[in-house]
Amino acid sequence: MARAFRRKGQRYVAKFDEMERGVVAGLLEQTRDIVAPTEAGEPPVANPDAFDDIVAGVSVGAEDHVASAEELADRDPALERLLPTAHRGDEKVAAEFRRLTEHDLRDRKAANLTVAIEALRGTEGDQLELTRKQADAVVVALTDARLVLGERLGLKTDEDALALDQLVATLDPEDPVVYAASFYDFLTWMQESLTTALLGRGLFR
Amino acid sequence: MVISASLAPVKERSTEVVEELELDVPWITLVWNDPVNLMSYVTYVFETYFGYPRHKAEKLMLDVHSKGKAVVAHGSREEMERDTEAMHGFGLWATFEKDA
Repeated sequence: MARAFRRKGQRYVAKFDEMERGVVAGLLEQTRDIVAPTEAGEPPVANPDAFDDIVAGVSVGAEDHVASAEELADRDPALERLLPTAHRGDEKVAAEFRRLTEHDLRDRKAANLTVAIEALRGTEGDQLELTRKQADAVVVALTDARLVLGERLGLKTDEDALALDQLVATLDPEDPVVYAASFYDFLTWMQESLTTALLGRGLFR
Repeated sequence: MVISASLAPVKERSTEVVEELELDVPWITLVWNDPVNLMSYVTYVFETYFGYPRHKAEKLMLDVHSKGKAVVAHGSREEMERDTEAMHGFGLWATFEKDA
């Protein structure tokens, strides 16, 4: 049973059993598969609902590939959520920004996810102890994974997010959305707990 | 300012990025509300990346939450592009534009 993060000296300490760590690490690995740069555009998205098997297809081709407008339109929306447009109202500026920054940004996100995955996979016993550097990596990695799950769950507005529990209550317990929502809730709890520990005190205190 | 190593903004930027002649025209970085990011996390990002004191980070976060967006930085176009990229690194929805 998980226990929230708290700061202990220079470390951020929580309890997560092996299964919980495995689930979180697995979600981070899937997120990394989505965001890690490909050399030639994106693999085709077979079924956006199958959130646990998103990475299909083979990548071949040149380096420094720049996503075309068509590729952007066909892109996995979760990837689009991780790499949003940087300019509203001027597509040329947005495309130029993408061309110059996207590859490095994807590289950095993938590397950050790897730090977080290794912190989780490298732990034995139920106590998870993170250095500040690892904690910073994990809290960002959890964001990226939640953005992917949030996209899969169709969370477009604050109201959608608030209505998620009600939606889940109406679904068959075996529905993949129910699993996705419970993973999302668990990652949210974990991130809130680690962020609060990193902030040192709660908001508005 | 504490910056997570893997998410640190790119320091060496390609010279082709900016050909902005209107150097005196300030640009801004905006962060937009989204349903996923936590209020605590947005505050953490503003505090860690920009080095803003807690009360300023909290106020900007509240503006994002209640008004839908907030201007989180002013500066040259190059600086605003760097900040926008950094915000994307943190998973926040940021854009840059010329200040109206």
